[in-house]
Amino acid sequence: KKKMKNLTLVVMLLCYSFASSSGDTTIHTNNWAVLVCTSRFWFNYRHMANTLSLYRTVKRLGIPDERIILMLADDMACNSRNQYPAQVFNNENHQINLYGDNVEVDYRGYEVTVENFLRVLTGRHENAVPRSKRLLSDEGSHILLYMTGHGGDEFLKFQDAEELQSHDLADAVKQMKEKRRFKELLIMVDTCQAATLFNQLQSPGVLAIGSSLKGENSYSHHLDSDIGVSVVDRFTYYTLAFFERLNIYDNASLNRSYDPRQLMSTAYYRTDLYQPHLSEVPVTNFFGSVMETVHTDSAYHAFSNRISNSKIKSDTPFNQLSEQDVKEDLRNTHNQNDELKTEKQKCPYSEMRADLHEKLKKIENVDTMVNLSIAVMILVVMVSSSLL
Amino acid sequence: MPVLDLGLIFRTSPIDPDLIRGKSQPLFPSGVAEGYWLKQASMSPYAGSMYHGSPLLLSLLGPLTVQRIKGQPSHLFCSLVFVIADILSAMLLRGIGHKLQMAYGLNARLLGLLKSPRDKEGILPSGDIAALVYLWNPFTIVCCVGLSTSPIENMAVILALNGAVTRRVPLAAFGLVMATHLSLYPAILTIPVIFLLGYGLDAPPLKLFLQTRNVESDNRSSTSSASKQAKLKPTAHLPFLWRTVVHFVFWVLVWSLCVLVLCGLSLSKHGGLEEMFKRTYGFILSIEDLSPNIGVFWYFFAEVFDFFRSFFLIVFHVNILFMLLPLAIRLKHRPCFLAFIYLAISSLLKSYPSVGDSALYLSLWALFVNELAVDMKFSFFLFCGYLGVSLLSPVMHNLWIWRGTGNANFYFGNAIGYACFQIVFVVESVSAMLNHDRALKKCNPNHQEVKN
Repeated sequence: KKKMKNLTLVVMLLCYSFASSSGDTTIHTNNWAVLVCTSRFWFNYRHMANTLSLYRTVKRLGIPDERIILMLADDMACNSRNQYPAQVFNNENHQINLYGDNVEVDYRGYEVTVENFLRVLTGRHENAVPRSKRLLSDEGSHILLYMTGHGGDEFLKFQDAEELQSHDLADAVKQMKEKRRFKELLIMVDTCQAATLFNQLQSPGVLAIGSSLKGENSYSHHLDSDIGVSVVDRFTYYTLAFFERLNIYDNASLNRSYDPRQLMSTAYYRTDLYQPHLSEVPVTNFFGSVMETVHTDSAYHAFSNRISNSKIKSDTPFNQLSEQDVKEDLRNTHNQNDELKTEKQKCPYSEMRADLHEKLKKIENVDTMVNLSIAVMILVVMVSSSLL
Repeated sequence: MPVLDLGLIFRTSPIDPDLIRGKSQPLFPSGVAEGYWLKQASMSPYAGSMYHGSPLLLSLLGPLTVQRIKGQPSHLFCSLVFVIADILSAMLLRGIGHKLQMAYGLNARLLGLLKSPRDKEGILPSGDIAALVYLWNPFTIVCCVGLSTSPIENMAVILALNGAVTRRVPLAAFGLVMATHLSLYPAILTIPVIFLLGYGLDAPPLKLFLQTRNVESDNRSSTSSASKQAKLKPTAHLPFLWRTVVHFVFWVLVWSLCVLVLCGLSLSKHGGLEEMFKRTYGFILSIEDLSPNIGVFWYFFAEVFDFFRSFFLIVFHVNILFMLLPLAIRLKHRPCFLAFIYLAISSLLKSYPSVGDSALYLSLWALFVNELAVDMKFSFFLFCGYLGVSLLSPVMHNLWIWRGTGNANFYFGNAIGYACFQIVFVVESVSAMLNHDRALKKCNPNHQEVKN
């Protein structure tokens, strides 16, 4: 009997833990993207091109600049070695200029540090940091985190001066989960030995995609002889090739496989922390901004601003509240009008005027009356001028 | 009359009004359409910034701006209304001119300048000439095609003058009240209209009649009361017909009451009469709209400091007012001419001048060809000036606003030139008329001394 009791306890605990781990009753409300290029210097042109290509794709599929945090060293476009000043290409055919008029870089130059990156993820900023540099996600957000640069076994090199380690990343993600800063997180890393960066991740709701396994390098795709350096990495190149065929209405799922022969490395998917099946998840859940709309029959009220801050979970109870508020206000104004009317009724002249006003309001077609009166006036003029 | 028909045909031909509207002159295009749309949307017609006119005009013209027939250019009905207004104005002008011409002939015979009826052929038919000038004036045509409300305002003014000249008091009162209601400035025409009703038609000064002893007895009603008076008693004062004037004032009050009641009715839901006065007369007097027009005030008020704005507004409006009295004293024997001068001055100095006003006073000028055409100097200079200004004005506007190769000074220089030409025109007309009176005095064959 004790064994049975223990078993049931264990089963209940398991169920409870399952429930708590899978218990996400929040709805997906917005998408964010954090795109980080961790390299600087001219020979790392391709890393900036990678990040800018992802930026362009994500914007094209619908995520606005307010919800993209772009971290770049940004020293390629106006580099004195750049033969095409203020232009960045990711292909030797130079068809797309990635550095157009509407590129908003949030952290540039020497601001791209491990500390700033972790502050962005965890949301722990100093007071003076502006809103455009903060990741203001909430528990309904899907976040895309893309990092590219030079990496190694369980680390990522930041701007040749520091490194981000896998447990730093895992800690940050754990903090984010505790603070309910995301509903689902997709981490894409395009560096050498990228898969090792995910070794310490444990938070649920995280999907990780790396471009190579431990011991493998990730390679660049091709060299642009005009610019003189490689302009894109293979993993990002094939990812983009997939996205360029999409628009915001497509239903393509995340479940696509990379060809190891084309990549010259093995793409790694860590899906054990991610509950939904990959083939059921549309790409636009992370890369775009298309969301399921929930239709309600209740009317839009100006009061809802007060209520929306408290994270609406279901629509009906709050809307009923606001309708009641509206009715109360209307009753109050009616009472005030009645009071005013009683005061005015003391004066007979204003009584007459009020009566006139009411009669006038009842006349629906004032215009035809006016037109008729004008016609009558003209008739009188003609008659009187011919008589007198 | 066939000439008039030609005029009608010319106007109804499908000239694209948008071409005209796209040009410079602020002929208040589509203001009526906007006002009507706002009214249909249950808002005050003055809620937008385009319509500043009368609500009665809105209820008459508004539905016409919306109705369309397939295959015809838009605003066909509106254009038809304006064409009809222009034709009516021309016919009324013809009536005025006819009366003036008869009075001129009669006075000339009474003064002994004309010996026989055959000499009357030398008198030009000022009525027909004035009507033709009005219809064929390019300014009038532009106003009509450009769908501004000037034709209706002009018609009201001419109606008032016609009523006063033909002594139909209710008509004169109606015309004056409508003209003042539509735009504020015709209010100054009360003075010449009262003179017309009180003293009678244009005539040479009374002294000339007193100096003439050979006065033939003539009982035609179209005589000016001046000559009748001179026949009866040799006094130096013209009689003033108070009864007619009181009659006129009564009818003015009646029509004003009607108009105010109707306006209050149509605007009862949108703020009432106060709103209307603020938005129509207040708009005219306070010169809120500084968009460029053919006048000179917009440039000035764009750069004047706020502190001095009310001062300059008062100065510019008093500028018109203080010319009224001296002109009235000097030209009281010629009230029709006085009306013409007042209209010319007000169209020069009003808040938002437009070419429709010049169309009106140019055709009124043609009523006095008999007196003015001989004496006026600078006529060729003025003609070329008007032509040049009206051709250059849209060009300068285009250079300034559409191409950006010019600036406001190009257009404003044009407007100043136009104002100068108008001033020269007015001054020359008045001096020509006074010279005419002096010439009459000199060539009076029966000149004798007056015994006081």
